[in-house]
Amino acid sequence: MDLKELLDPKKLLSYVRGTQVYKSAFRHGMPENVRNRALVVLSNVFLHLHPSRVRTSGIRLKYTWCMGGLSFFIFLVEVITGLLLMFYYRPTVEYAYVDIIDLGEQVPLGIMRELHRWGAHAMVITVWLHMLRVFMTGSYKPPREFNWVIGVLLLVLTLLLSFTGYLLPWDQLAIWAITVGSNMARATPFLGHEGPGASLLALGGVNLVHSGSDVRFALLGGRFVGAGALLRFYVLHCVAIPFVATILMSIHFWRIRKDGGISGPM
Amino acid sequence: MIDFLKTFINTIAAPEWFVSLAIVVFFVALFWEKLWTPKPALYVLGAAVAFFTVSLLDPNFRSIVTKADNVPIVAMLFLVGFFIWLSMSQAYENDRRIGRGEKPMEASEPVSKVLVWPDLVYTEFICLILFTVLLIVWSIFLKAPLEQPANPGDSPNPSKAPWYFLGLQEMLVYYDPWLAGVVFPSLIVVGLMAIPFIDKNKKGSGYYTFRERKVEITIFLFGFVILWILLIATGTFLRGPNWNFFGPYEFWDVGKLPPLVNINLSEYFWVKWLNTGLPKGWLLREAPGFIVVLLYLLTLPPLLARTLLRKYYEKLGPERYAVMVILLLSMGALPVKMYLRWLFNLKYIIAIPEYFFNI
Amino acid sequence: MTEKDPREPAAGGSPAGPEKSTAGTSPAPGQAAKPAASASRRGFLSWLVLAWIAFTAAMTAGLTALTRFLFPNVLFEPPSTFKAGPPSEYGIGIVDERWKERFGVWIVRDEEGLYALSTTCTHLGCTPNWLSADEKFKCPCHGSGFYKTGINFEGPAPRPLERYRILLAEDGQVLVDKSRKFQWEKGQWEDPESLLKA
Repeated sequence: MDLKELLDPKKLLSYVRGTQVYKSAFRHGMPENVRNRALVVLSNVFLHLHPSRVRTSGIRLKYTWCMGGLSFFIFLVEVITGLLLMFYYRPTVEYAYVDIIDLGEQVPLGIMRELHRWGAHAMVITVWLHMLRVFMTGSYKPPREFNWVIGVLLLVLTLLLSFTGYLLPWDQLAIWAITVGSNMARATPFLGHEGPGASLLALGGVNLVHSGSDVRFALLGGRFVGAGALLRFYVLHCVAIPFVATILMSIHFWRIRKDGGISGPM
Repeated sequence: MIDFLKTFINTIAAPEWFVSLAIVVFFVALFWEKLWTPKPALYVLGAAVAFFTVSLLDPNFRSIVTKADNVPIVAMLFLVGFFIWLSMSQAYENDRRIGRGEKPMEASEPVSKVLVWPDLVYTEFICLILFTVLLIVWSIFLKAPLEQPANPGDSPNPSKAPWYFLGLQEMLVYYDPWLAGVVFPSLIVVGLMAIPFIDKNKKGSGYYTFRERKVEITIFLFGFVILWILLIATGTFLRGPNWNFFGPYEFWDVGKLPPLVNINLSEYFWVKWLNTGLPKGWLLREAPGFIVVLLYLLTLPPLLARTLLRKYYEKLGPERYAVMVILLLSMGALPVKMYLRWLFNLKYIIAIPEYFFNI
Repeated sequence: MTEKDPREPAAGGSPAGPEKSTAGTSPAPGQAAKPAASASRRGFLSWLVLAWIAFTAAMTAGLTALTRFLFPNVLFEPPSTFKAGPPSEYGIGIVDERWKERFGVWIVRDEEGLYALSTTCTHLGCTPNWLSADEKFKCPCHGSGFYKTGINFEGPAPRPLERYRILLAEDGQVLVDKSRKFQWEKGQWEDPESLLKA
């Protein structure tokens, strides 16, 4: 084929679509007819979260509010911006605060932390609104009971993700919010050293549950919010909770399909 | 005139007035069908926006509302209001349709199924793009807050939990940490998970409706709006230095120190009513409290099963009913204690600090 | 399993298989009902139960060890004792805030002597502020208030502030030992080491 033909967009397009490389990636024609439109969704690993057809109510924004989709999208935004922030941030008492300042002042595109923080706030709100929508449409009713339970767990994980991230800037706002938050763990019945029942767990007059061995200590890695807490919250925030959330999200999306698709009148 | 209005609003922002007012408005609004149509909603929105804009002229109001971390909460208040209106208006619309013997809107689409590509995929795509634009604009104009470096020796005044936990922090004023920080949050999570297994109402699956699910929706929205969103708003906007209540136009004066002397039930009972001293042993001392708590948790369920909740008891059976009623009573325990505190300065119903067991 | 394969009826089954087959104890009609066969089937079952018990025990032990991993043997925390100058530096009725930031302690002197109050609020661990005009400690987090003695009187704090061990060091300075604390509700403020008579 000569160069002139390549300058014609239509011909160029049909040439690209004829190449072995293109055909190896996309095994269907352009989504111009019903068959191909179904194939687009079925043969794409990302799009096939969806079935090829949905109830008409499922595409009405008035009905679904798109809050579940938005929550998932914000999760992805948080993963990407979070990864980028990790390049500059060091979770130690010495460096954390200055690294955060540098992120705003010494790094180009200084709004990465803003994107991450406001995205996190937005995600909490969208997850709540998603729950509100699912409740108001009665979409937790059989056969979707189990998926509602998974959804509640994901809601809790969203809050925990946000909570663990709150400590990382290591400023006054951070440590006091976490001090208050983690001190509640101190009062866990039997497991916290100031919880009811803790004083009953004793061997020969020695308390088993004290400030160095209770559930709060496990969370903070120390008796107070210090270096250990910063590192533990960092690991929880960046690895542990996102990992669990990803697994639960997979189940959540899979079960939408298995339990009858996007909700609609049953 | 303005000053009079400000004083008036500051006065009714006192928790006992403000929460009572919110509860009344909540119930009236929920059952007032006319409210859930576009016109009154626009009036309410207009009034809210006007209230906000005019209030922004007040320096005290402005300084609290425009704090970077508080902006999303203001947005959330409007969003929650809008989406509750959106769901309730569709619910009432469907109720009218069902009343006429028609199917709900969701079930009477001209085409029952559509292709995901392009209809759904593009809808989602547009939503995501709009959100991304919003997030970027938001991030450019509002800097993420960063305060002084951490200093374990100096609590800022007031110290607040992250905003989504301010409902819990508010709860912590009325109940001890083991209840408000551990037991109640666990019950909220477990209770939410239990909803599909307790709600045996087969109607209203997959479409908006109010008439077919009046009780379920009322309970859920009461928990969500009054006990969660409203408490977050309270904790954010009305709690100032030393965790005192401040009206929206009131200056956050660190020196404001209203007396907050609280009294235990045991003191009320032994000292004030019987005029004897407090008994030495905790078991006898706290006996009145134990009796009150046991009455609440053990006598109310069977009583309700025979009276108010009889229909539910028959429909759900004893096990499901027991779970439901315990969850309900725990939920009700919060407003009960709040009012006891506001009206009688009651501190603890049961107070055994020796074992960290206070209710 | 030592024998060849006596569990014909349940052969090829998952672990649940043999259990099911024991539900009907009568041997399958086609099979020769050898007593040895049923005996060894029972043998297999008890092995199975044993194996599951061992597995559960191993898992529990493993989890316990994993939990233990969260609690290090050595903690790098600031020293718990410090010297706070001679007692004469402290005036009667004055709350000394010099040690608050570094050590988390207020040293107060009343008519009887000196005591060291912990600066950790007993509600949720915030640091209260001393308001000298109102003669009270006020916690900024949830509004708990404490008298100068540490006794709680308002707000949600469930019990008084804790006191630390306080004594006179050999060089005549006040020594505060934070590793031992005294709680009022347990009657520990009667302990002579909770108050330095000077």
